[in-house]
Amino acid sequence: MSTVPATRPALHRDPTHGVAGGVCAGVGQRLGVDPLILRVAIVAASAAGGVGVALYVLAWVLLPVAAAGDGLPATRPRGATRASLQVGAGVSLLLASFLLTLRELGLWAGDPVVFPLVLAAGGVALVWRQSTQRLVSPELPPTPRAAQTLPAAAATPTVTVAETGERRATRAAGVYRGGFGVALIVGAGLLVLQTTGALSAARDVVLATVVVVTALGLILAPFLYRLGRTLAAERAARIRSQERAEVAAHLHDSVLQTLALVQRQAADPRAVATLARRQERELRTWLEGDRTPTGHVASALREVAAEVEERFGVAVDVVVVGDAPLDADLLATVEAAREAMVNAAKFGGDGAGSAVAVFAEATVEEVSLFVRDRGPGFDLAAVPADRRGVRESIVGRMERHGGRATVHAAPGMGVEVELRLERRP
Amino acid sequence: MSRRPDLPALVAGLAILALGALLLLDRVDALELRFGVLAPAFLAVCGAILLATGLDNRDREAAHGP
Repeated sequence: MSTVPATRPALHRDPTHGVAGGVCAGVGQRLGVDPLILRVAIVAASAAGGVGVALYVLAWVLLPVAAAGDGLPATRPRGATRASLQVGAGVSLLLASFLLTLRELGLWAGDPVVFPLVLAAGGVALVWRQSTQRLVSPELPPTPRAAQTLPAAAATPTVTVAETGERRATRAAGVYRGGFGVALIVGAGLLVLQTTGALSAARDVVLATVVVVTALGLILAPFLYRLGRTLAAERAARIRSQERAEVAAHLHDSVLQTLALVQRQAADPRAVATLARRQERELRTWLEGDRTPTGHVASALREVAAEVEERFGVAVDVVVVGDAPLDADLLATVEAAREAMVNAAKFGGDGAGSAVAVFAEATVEEVSLFVRDRGPGFDLAAVPADRRGVRESIVGRMERHGGRATVHAAPGMGVEVELRLERRP
Repeated sequence: MSRRPDLPALVAGLAILALGALLLLDRVDALELRFGVLAPAFLAVCGAILLATGLDNRDREAAHGP
């Protein structure tokens, strides 16, 4: 098993090796040049008109900070934290100072033009940020198992998804932010109309529009309300269905696999007891624990490979190029890879002790993963519909998390399972 | 011992120093300060201090969580 680190880390800041914000240290790592050269360049550019300071501050604001130790960009906490509010206020004040200075120097297109433009730009920035941010922040931890309820009949579990207060707060903050942005843009438009004298002329038109829109709103309100309720119900049903599929896939990967091993080792009571204890521990952890993913893809794959090796006595060779911190989607990809390794270990042997080969590559854009065996292969179309190993635990799981799985298999040709997941920005 | 300076304190010190120099120049009649000049300078000082503090806090949040 070997890990080949990515040669060019993503653009980031590295405050631990930096003097101020770690911009030069991070960019130096990316470009492969000594940060000292970049620092001298920034100082020189600062002396020549202050461009260096502006560039440095801009990079400090925009570049993500690297996580300590691994050189990978760390996830920036989302939401209106105190620090982001301070940065926003600071940038706004500096911008106001810059504009007032221009006004004082006479480099000014006029108050009726500039102030609405500034307002509109602020509003567009807020709306743009809101439109590019997902409704539920992916960095928020998934709902803990303890907050969900599983009925006694595990074969057809119903999961009640409890929305955490943190998610609700994030959604409300997003709505307020978007609403404030829209208000700024509308205010800028009204300001332009007011200063150009067009507002009084447009008053009748605006009044008529408001009346028509209000009437239409009253007419359509019940339909819109019902549509909203239907969409919410459909969304809840889709979430329930996905959760059911996740639970079924997990039960297949854990309990059913263990039961198959128990049947195979029924003659050895000690082995059976060990399997039962391990399964009990795993199931309790999954039911009660917080499933927030931690660690990175490479280490998770090695752990999974070691577990499969130990359980099935088949060598699993893992090669990983690059690395990425685990999130819910990447964790599902690793779980799908685990199922592919288990299948390869169970069915992919050629009798000569051949190993299962795993190759993974993690880039900033995508994580791709291949699990290959040299066994007898199989005809995918001939697999019975009630077998969930490939369909649910691999293909279905990847599709639920926005990725895709392709199984290249033919009788006598071995099997290669290809997993691909585009990484979210 | 960390080689990183305390950036918010450094920026605040330099910015207030610059503002003090402006006021001193005005006092000795080397410069005529009007509201149109003083207001942007005051805003710039506040903005620089807030920006430095925010960036420093953001790095701390990224390192230790909010």
